[in-house]
Amino acid sequence: MEREVAIIAYAQTPYEADANASREMQVLQVAKAALEAVGLKQEDRYTVITANNDYLDGRTISNMRLVEPAAAWHKNESKVEMDGAYAAIYGLMRILSGDHDVALIIGESQASVYARWIPGIMMFDPTFDRQRWLLNEVSAAALQARAYMNAFGVSEEQIAGVAAKNLDNASRNPLAFNKLAGASSEKVLSSRKLYEPITELMVAPYCDGACALVLAAGEMAKKAEKPVWIKGVGFAHDSYLTERPLEEMTSLKMAAEKAYAMAGIKDPVSQVDLAEVHENFAHEELMGYEALGFCGRGEGGAFFDSGATKRDGKLPVNASGGAIGANVVCATGLARIIEAAIQIRGEAGERQIPGVKTAVATGQTGPCAQESVVFVLGGE
Amino acid sequence: MGAGIDIGPVPRSSIPINPAFQWSVGNWMDYFYDGLKEGKIRGSKCPECGKVSLPPRMVCQHCFAKCEDWVELPETGTVESFTMAHVKVGANGELEDLPQPEIIVMVKHDGADTCVAARLEGQNASVGMKVKAVIDPEAENFVNMLAGYRPAE
Ligand SMILES: [Zn+2]
Repeated sequence: MEREVAIIAYAQTPYEADANASREMQVLQVAKAALEAVGLKQEDRYTVITANNDYLDGRTISNMRLVEPAAAWHKNESKVEMDGAYAAIYGLMRILSGDHDVALIIGESQASVYARWIPGIMMFDPTFDRQRWLLNEVSAAALQARAYMNAFGVSEEQIAGVAAKNLDNASRNPLAFNKLAGASSEKVLSSRKLYEPITELMVAPYCDGACALVLAAGEMAKKAEKPVWIKGVGFAHDSYLTERPLEEMTSLKMAAEKAYAMAGIKDPVSQVDLAEVHENFAHEELMGYEALGFCGRGEGGAFFDSGATKRDGKLPVNASGGAIGANVVCATGLARIIEAAIQIRGEAGERQIPGVKTAVATGQTGPCAQESVVFVLGGE
Repeated sequence: MGAGIDIGPVPRSSIPINPAFQWSVGNWMDYFYDGLKEGKIRGSKCPECGKVSLPPRMVCQHCFAKCEDWVELPETGTVESFTMAHVKVGANGELEDLPQPEIIVMVKHDGADTCVAARLEGQNASVGMKVKAVIDPEAENFVNMLAGYRPAE
C-alpha cells in the first residue's frame, strides 16, 4: 500500500439484548473508549465512518443522530449501509488518499427494536421472492447449506460441530451474547428445527451492540503502542442468490485472493495464525475455510474434522465465538477485525490464542454472503 | 447496560411505524406475470451470451446488456437444492412453527440458467429430482401464479 495503515485502538460493548440501552449510548461508549485509548479529542483532525442501517434503525438516514455520540460533529462523517468491515475499508481508503491520518470506524444495531427476521426478508426481490414469503435469511441459508452438503458430502454433524466449537469458544468471551461451555454437536442438532439442515443453535443470534476501531497512518501510527498493521484487503460482490452456484462462496474467495496478493500470503495455512470468519450460519464457516484457501474445494468438512480450527489447532477460527457468539448487524464483520486485532495484541484474556502474529478477518453482507470483505492483519 | 449512566428502569414505549410502499414490478415482470395468466412460463434472454433468466431479469450481469429477448420455457425442471421448513416468519418477525412441515425448493427450469424458489408438493425432495411447475392463473396474489412444483413422475 502507498501508506502503512494500522489499527491503533478498538472498543466493543457487551453484546446483549436490551432495548433500553439506546444506540446513542452504545455508540457513545465505544467511540469514547476508542478515541480516549489513543488520546484523541473531538477537536482533533480525524474522519468518521459509521455502519448502520435505515431499516434496522427505523429511520431514514440512520446516521443523522449518531453524529453526536460518534464524535462526528463538523467532520466528514459518512456511513455505509452494510457490514462494518466495509466501513473499515472506506476509512482505510480515506487514509490512503492522503486526506486524513486518522479514521474512527463504528458499527452498530439493536436487534431488540426491530422485528427480528423481517428486515432480512426485505432484502429479497420485491417483484417476486419477497412477496412469496418463502425466502428469508434462514431458509436461504438452508438452501445454500443443502447445496453445499450435496456437492461435497458434508454432514449435518460437521456443521453442528462448527456451531458447538463457536458456542464453546464464546464461553471464554465476556462480551458474547450466546455462549455454551462444552457444547456438543448432539446438543446443536437437537435444538429447535428451523429449516433443515439448520437448527436454532447453528444460527448467529441477532442482538444489540456497537463496536469501534481507530485506523491511523503517519505519526499517529508510528507513536501508537502495539499497532496492528493492515497488510491486505479485498472485497467482491456476487450475484443474487438464485443466480449463482450456492455450493461455494465466490465473493469471499475473490476477496481473499485480492487480500492475500496484497499481503504476500501464498500458503494461508502456514502463514496465517488465526482467523475470525463472519459466519451467519455454521455451514458458512466450513465454506469459508475453502474460500479462504485453508483447504481445497469441498474439503471444509474434513478440515474441520482435522481439528485445525479449534482453539488448540494450527489455524484457530472464531476463537471469539464468531457471529454465532454474537451477531449485531452492521457490527459483526467489524467485530471480527477487532477480535483479530485483539489476538495479535495479546489482549484477548481467556480467549487468547498464543503467538498470533498474522490474522485474517472477514465480513459479509447480503443473503448467502452475496458480498464479502477480507482483511489480513499483522503485528510488528 | 454498562454505559456508565444510571438513569434507572426506562418504561419501554413502542412507536410502531408502518411506511407503505407501492412497488412496480416493472415491464419485464409484468410480461412474465401476463404469460402465467395464459399458462406460459417466459424467461428473459441475454442477446449477447444467450443466458436465460427465470424469473426474468432486465440486465445480464455477465454482459452488462439489456435482456430484451424472450423464450417460452417448459414446465419441467430440476431441484438444485431444497429445505424442509418447520417454521415461517410470523407477522411479528419471529419464527413460528408450521402446523405441518413443508418443502421449499430451488428449481432450475429446463432451458433456464437461474433458479426459482418455490414450494414443492409432498414431503420428499432430493437434489436432482425432476419436477413440474404448478401454475395457478387465479392466484389471489399474482406473485403466486407460479404456485410451486410437484414431482414430475
Ligand atoms: Zn449476457
